[in-house]
Amino acid sequence: MSAPPPTEPFAGRAYKEGFHDDIKTLKSVPKGLSHAVVDYMCDVKGEPNWMREFRHRSLDLFLKQGIPEWVPGLRDEFHYDEFTYYVSPVEKSSRRWEDVPEEIRRTYDKLGIAKEEQKLLGGLGAQIDSEMAYHNIQESLAKKGVIFLSCDDGMKQYPDIFRQHFAKNIPPEDNKFAALNAAFWSGGSFVYIPKGVKCDIPLSVYFRINAEQFGQFERTLIICEDDSFCHYVEGCSAPIYTTNSLHAAVVEIYVKERARCRYTTIQNWSTDVYNLVTKRSMISAKGVMEWVDGNLGSKRTVKYPSCYMIGEGAHGEVLSLASADKGMWQDAGAKLVFLAPNCSGRINSKSISGHGGRSSYRGLVQVARNATGCRAQVNCDALILDPHSRSDTYPTMEINGDLATIEHEATVSNVSDEQLFYLTSRGLKKEDAVSMIVNGFIEPVVKELPMEFAVEINRLIGLQMEGSVG
Amino acid sequence: MNLDAQRALAWQTYQRLPLPSRRDVEWQRFDLRALNLNEIEKRPQSVRVSLNSAPGVTLVPLVDQQPIGRAIPPDEPNKFAALASALWRHGAFLRVPAGHKADRPIEITCEFTGANAVAFPRTLIVLEPGAEATLVQQFTGPGDGVHASLTEVFLEEGARLHYVSFQNLAPGALDFTLKRAHVARNAEIDWVVGMFGGSLTRYDVQCIMDGEGGNSFIYGAGVVDDRQQLAQFTRQHHRVGHTTSDLLFKNVLRDRAATNYAGIIKVEKNANGTNAYQSNRNLVLDKTVQCDTRPILEIESHQLRCTHGATVGRLDENQLYYLRTRGLDDTTARNVLIEAFLDPVLARIQVESVRQEFAEIIHRKVLK
Repeated sequence: MSAPPPTEPFAGRAYKEGFHDDIKTLKSVPKGLSHAVVDYMCDVKGEPNWMREFRHRSLDLFLKQGIPEWVPGLRDEFHYDEFTYYVSPVEKSSRRWEDVPEEIRRTYDKLGIAKEEQKLLGGLGAQIDSEMAYHNIQESLAKKGVIFLSCDDGMKQYPDIFRQHFAKNIPPEDNKFAALNAAFWSGGSFVYIPKGVKCDIPLSVYFRINAEQFGQFERTLIICEDDSFCHYVEGCSAPIYTTNSLHAAVVEIYVKERARCRYTTIQNWSTDVYNLVTKRSMISAKGVMEWVDGNLGSKRTVKYPSCYMIGEGAHGEVLSLASADKGMWQDAGAKLVFLAPNCSGRINSKSISGHGGRSSYRGLVQVARNATGCRAQVNCDALILDPHSRSDTYPTMEINGDLATIEHEATVSNVSDEQLFYLTSRGLKKEDAVSMIVNGFIEPVVKELPMEFAVEINRLIGLQMEGSVG
Repeated sequence: MNLDAQRALAWQTYQRLPLPSRRDVEWQRFDLRALNLNEIEKRPQSVRVSLNSAPGVTLVPLVDQQPIGRAIPPDEPNKFAALASALWRHGAFLRVPAGHKADRPIEITCEFTGANAVAFPRTLIVLEPGAEATLVQQFTGPGDGVHASLTEVFLEEGARLHYVSFQNLAPGALDFTLKRAHVARNAEIDWVVGMFGGSLTRYDVQCIMDGEGGNSFIYGAGVVDDRQQLAQFTRQHHRVGHTTSDLLFKNVLRDRAATNYAGIIKVEKNANGTNAYQSNRNLVLDKTVQCDTRPILEIESHQLRCTHGATVGRLDENQLYYLRTRGLDDTTARNVLIEAFLDPVLARIQVESVRQEFAEIIHRKVLK
């Protein structure tokens, strides 16, 4: 296989979500972060005092904390003062699609998050910039007691459940970006599945950044009570600007006893978005947590969905797919932390680097001394498509005691000449052959996605593959 | 750079570098705070180096031979390597002339003798083009205190070295070792490393693939018990393509011992045709131990294949059961499985007497 020409073989992949709409801003703050911005947000949102104090404390923590040394390169790439921390184009989150302002509806129509799609979903949320424009749930699920609201509304309508769980899993002390989120959080989802309720149609939320040089800090809290089930799906996109935007989300999940939660992400930010996300689940006895994490966009992603197994027999699983194209660095991975006996966990990571992109797998498997009889299996496979790209694997395993069985395996390779030769000798065109090999490579992750997303991923990867064979 | 200048630069480097702290990922399990390095330059050095040569090769005490300091420069960013570069007094120099095949194993033995002393043995190994040799290097002795050794290996074009190196220092020794091999075009190193002694040991084993067609096989066995701490760092650095490196480090831990393996495969840009494998397998024998492993790949080239794996596990109950049904008692069954676990490393040793010695050390430490 001959390598593509040395410079810009083609201008990255086509990013059809890169458009920008003129949407009237109703509320916003001046650029930069300050305690005054925090006060403004508390005022317009009408938040209780404890939240105001929490936000101020978090901002202080953010200013004090440094970026961990192993997070590559972020220190000097941007200044926190170049972003706007709160921009709201809506008055409040609507329950009827017709009540959403027309210009926002138009944006969502263009993205294909139309009303019709709601038929396939148990609930749909749509966030634009700082606020949720729309949040609704099917009547049948609401009747069973399922709560699906914007996180702000969750705080107001269910203060007890909210306060019992909010920031208990990821406190602002956890890391610099969690503190940043805690200070400026706005939007995101609040999901509560009562005991024994199986919410078998997915709840979906779409996050859109429209403003320029903007920081989006949504916060999601999912509580699955004993024996319940839910599948939460999120997607995201942003316009292409010449300046950077920042997306620092926090997702906290509680999987109670014997409950199961699946959280699917299709991250497709434009290549000027820094995506620095903290996602963590606490899994009680015999609970099951599944993260399906697809990272296809952004300038830089730093995200390691985590499973903390705190009850006996808990199971945590992370399927991670990263595709680093031109101008992207996907620093993705996963964490499994075993704190109770007889738990199991699995990480399956697939990454593709092409057109000068860089993808890294960074992972942690940690076993506490009393967590006897735990098993963890980690598989990482990476494909490098051309000589301008890079792939790294940084796994860490810390095992105390002798009663765990831990395995890690990783492979980095290219699309081999033998594979191509075989497929082309069967009459396939070279591009189709490469595409087939890549699709086969990501198949174990893609097959776990809901149908519409699987189709979307195949389309995105397909676009990325164009021009990769000379 | 002459030797005096090297020593001066190394001493500067040593003083500039901070003592590794627990915040340093590679050292996070190891507490060096109790280590006293005050006036270390004034402490007595007690090393006895014995050499056992083969016909046709040069094996002499290391004085100022070339190319000393070229693989491990005096400003190597490693506090203990810089310390050894500055203060070493004893060592060995091996040169195998071009095309010569040494017909019996060459031996270098460094004995650490004094109590509360220091030792900085340094070794320089050069195999000229087409040369072949087998080298057995051992670090042993009853001494305690700080032991920091450096070994530089140069395999010139087409040279082949079977290199067995092991450390079996006394329990009080703190050992900091750096070994780096440069492998030129079509050269091959077949390397076995044994890590057994010392209360705190850091072993740095590195191969730099400098020429096409170069091969490197590195096999390591670490056996630790009784609160021993063993940190291993390996590096397979592919500077050019069409090179192969294969690494397997196996550790057995018991009785409050701790190991921390960190290894990296680094493939530079355009090193196409690299084939690299890295594996770290750990067998933990009781629940008092701690075992960390961190295998890393950094790949900037695309026509290649790099794979790594790491495992931590205990003896398999089913295998033990099987052996017991065949009439073996519990202890024997365990011993058989532990020996079998380490066998892929021991089997690489081509010198029968040395393989015996490995087996005896392992027997003393972990078999009952």
